[in-house]
Parts: sequence; C-alpha cells; structure tokens
Amino acid sequence: MAEAMIKIENLSYRYPRTKKWVLKDISIEIHKGEFIAIMGENGAGKTTFCQCLNGVIPHSHEGKLKGVVIVDGMVTAETPISKLADSIGMVLEDPETQLFTTIIRNEVAFGPENLNIPIDEIKRRVNWALEVVGLTEYIDEAPTALSGGQKQRLAIAAALAMLPKVLVLDEPTSQLDPIGTREVYNVIREIREKHDITIVMATHKSEEIAEFADKVLVIKDGQVAAFDKPWNIFNDEQLLKDNWIRPPQVSALTNYLNDRGEMLEKFPVLLEDAVTEIMKWYKGERV
Amino acid sequence: MSLIEYHPGKSFMHKLDPRVKIFMMSILTIVIFMVQNFYVIAALFITFLALWNNAKLPAKNLKNYFIFMIGLLGFIILLQTLFYPGSHYILKPLIPNFVPLIGGMGALKWEGFLFGLLLGLRLITLIVLMPLVTMTTPIHLLALGLVRLGMSYKIAFMTTTAINLIPTFESETQVIMDAQKMRGMKDFEEGGILKKMKAYPALVVPLVIGAMRRAQMMGVAMDARAFGAYQTRTYIEDIKMQKKDYLVIILIAIYAVAAVVINYMLQGR
Repeated sequence: MAEAMIKIENLSYRYPRTKKWVLKDISIEIHKGEFIAIMGENGAGKTTFCQCLNGVIPHSHEGKLKGVVIVDGMVTAETPISKLADSIGMVLEDPETQLFTTIIRNEVAFGPENLNIPIDEIKRRVNWALEVVGLTEYIDEAPTALSGGQKQRLAIAAALAMLPKVLVLDEPTSQLDPIGTREVYNVIREIREKHDITIVMATHKSEEIAEFADKVLVIKDGQVAAFDKPWNIFNDEQLLKDNWIRPPQVSALTNYLNDRGEMLEKFPVLLEDAVTEIMKWYKGERV
Repeated sequence: MSLIEYHPGKSFMHKLDPRVKIFMMSILTIVIFMVQNFYVIAALFITFLALWNNAKLPAKNLKNYFIFMIGLLGFIILLQTLFYPGSHYILKPLIPNFVPLIGGMGALKWEGFLFGLLLGLRLITLIVLMPLVTMTTPIHLLALGLVRLGMSYKIAFMTTTAINLIPTFESETQVIMDAQKMRGMKDFEEGGILKKMKAYPALVVPLVIGAMRRAQMMGVAMDARAFGAYQTRTYIEDIKMQKKDYLVIILIAIYAVAAVVINYMLQGR
C-alpha cells in the first residue's frame, strides 16, 4: 500500500459560539496519488472538512478542534497555513474571491513568489501551469476577462504552480455551468494522468465522480457515513437516499430497470459500462 | 467611471518608474495644499490635464466625476461665501453687525467666494492628480514601487489591494441598488434628500457584510497561496530607475519649488 499522504485521527470540530460538533470523530487515511471525492448533503461538513486539511481550521477560525490532522508529515494545528501551503494547494468554491491580481501571469506567480522561488523557475512553472489548464494564450490578460470556468481553471493553475503534493478543491464547480464543469474535470484528469498529486474534492457531481474518483467519502452529520470505491457507493441505494446523493443517471436507469424486474448482470456507474450491460440485456431479450 | 482602474498605454506617464510617480504624487499633493494663489493652482491643474491628455486617459471618466462633484463644489463655495470673514460684501448682512453673536449673518462676501473657489479648485486638482498615477501604473508595480521605497510587502499589498477593490465595490453597490429597485424601492430615484438618506442603510448594510465576507474568503485564499510565509519573496518583474526617471525627479522638484516660490511672490504683492 502506498504511504499515507493525509492521516486523520479522531478529528472533531466545533465552530466558536456553537454547541454542535460539525465534525465528529473522523479517522481516515488518504494515500499518495489518490483522488478522493467528498459527498454529502449541504451542511454535512464538507467545507469544514476541507478547511481542516489545509489548516484554515484551526488557524483562521477559532472553535474547538480535537484529534490530529497530518498532511505530508506536518501536523496542521502546529504548522502555519502559509508553510502548509508548500505541500497543500487549495481551490475555493467562489472563483472571484481567490483571484486578487490584475494580470494572469502575476496571479499564477503569486504563490511561488511568496515561497521565494527563483525567477526563472517561477516563469517555467507559470508557463507549465497555464498550459496544464489550457489558458496559455491569456497570460497577459486580466483575470476579470475570463469566464467562470476559466477563472476556476486559473485558480487551479495558481495552486499547481506551487507544486503541491495535495490539492484540495472545495466544490470548485458548484457555480459553473455544465461546460465549465467539464473544463475543470478535464484539467483534473490531465493532472492525474501526468502528475502524482493527491486530490481531495468536495462535490455533488455524481457522473464525474463515478468516472474519476478512486474513493468516495460520504459525510453525514459530521461523521463518516461511508468511505469506499465509487461503484460500492453508487450501488448502495439506501446510502444515497440517506445523504441526498443523486446517483449517476446510468445507475438510476439500472435501478429503475431492476425495480421492473429487468435485471442487468452487472451494476454500472459509468456510461460505457452501462451501454455494454444494456446492449447485453437487450440482445439477450431478443434472442 | 472609475478613476482608479489601470488604463494600459505607452505614454510618458506609463513608462515612468512607479517610485517616481509615487514621489510626484506625494510632493505635488503637498504643493497643492501649500499654495494659496488662484493662478498657481490653476497652472497646476492645467499641467495635470495636459498629462492626462498625453497619457490618453479617458476624459469621459473625469467629466462624469466632475458632474458628480459640482454639487459638492457649489456647497463648499456657498458655505465659504456665507461664513468666511471679509468686508467686501456681495450682499449686505441680513442681520446688522452690532447684534451680538449672530451679527453679520447672511452676508455674502467676496473674500469667502474666492476662498471657496480656491478650495474647490484644490479638490479638483487633487482629483486629477491621483489617477495620473493609479491609472498609468499596473497595481502590482505600484506595490513593488512601495516595497522598493521601504514599505513592507504586507502593507504595500494591502494598500494596493484596497485600491484594486474600489471598482469591485462600485459594481457591487450597483448590483445591490438594482436588486432593491427591482423589488420596488424607489427612494434612490424619486425621493428627496431625506428619503435618499433613509434608504442608504439598506444599501450600506449588505455592502459591508458582503465586504467582510469577501475579506475573510480572500484571507483564506491568500494564506493558501503562502502569503507572508517568509520574510522575503521573489518578484517576477523588476523595476529599474532609468536616467530619464532621475531627470523627471529633478524636474518635479524644480516644478514644485517654483510653484511655491511664485505663490509667495504673488502673495507678497
């Protein structure tokens, strides 16, 4: 088994001036190079969980933190966020607030500049990161000139340029249209294929998760409801219902067929598998 | 109609080193406040307008701003005309001078009018000067200029980010006002001054809350990008003082001294 990149032991967290624990006793390990999707209904604690990973909790929020979060060998509660930034990159939900320069080149260079990286290396990284997200042609433009999907890709490039070992994305596509969402996922796939970066992403997009994620962490009321391969998650109808997770459309179709007594051999969560299965069933029917 | 947003160009002002521009802005601001003579301020004003023209900055923004300012200027001039001490009456006092405390009230005085005009002109001159720097310098170079002048990066970044956010807040204000109008709020358009003033909290409260939320999110995003992780940092762009820049500094200094000297010569007469 690969080494643990993120190790979480008995993590509980409560916001200041509230009694309710938002996260309750979470213990999981995430390995190097994995893509973990975090799902759960709104208010389940997805964002809080993400903020625990990159040290925003407990550094920028008061409140009570119990347990230990270790990212790349650093205990988050004891390491300043800006130092954690060396290992962990972050993309937020709102594409606007995380961009604060007037030229895209500077936006991407901002992180590496803060890390005291030599100029030539920064320039190489800027070109590389913009190429990965497909924004090379806009290098001299203003971030405000970009569309929502492009802005979110820029935010990813800005995080990538710091060469993080872990990339945390907190619902990066929730404000984007389907095309913007695809753009972002294509970039993530690109990163996964060519670079050994561990990715943790909170999201609601079932189709994309089924396609891309190694494992899905379902959080319910601050607790781990499930932590398993996407296939197992989307196969568990009760789990999905309990957490208001919409199954991928092909899985929904299969469930519908199953309910009507038309059993498919295997339960598909990907479109391709579904097509194969349905073709088999259809042919079997005709013969 | 922002007077702050960077306006790309290749003019004389655009090519100056940010440090020279910061120097120019601070020195000339002091001069504007030191100078008492109407003609000298008018000369400064015209010089700045010429530089505006040279830098091809959009005159439309300025015009809109002046229209916005006219009310304020009128008010300043009126107040000064009424209350500035003087003996050359445009209009005799409504209350005779011998009445204690309120004697001499209601008079319009020539000296006050001139003083009000001077104050107004000063304000306008300042408003023309500022954008000459902010609109011709990309915000990151302005920050770099401040850093090279000895300001800490954190403070320089905060300053320039604040400048950078003004257009954002302008548009956010517009969004909130539109949203309120769409729900039937007419006070901003039709109401009298009192009604407008009563309507402002409804505008300011969401604006401030939005700003605070935005600031918090920005803080998180900046932390995540290692802002302030180390004492030093790299800058991918560098600024270098050219011969021309030193020359311009000397010219500005001469110009400033000349303005002040001429001012006192004219005052002395």
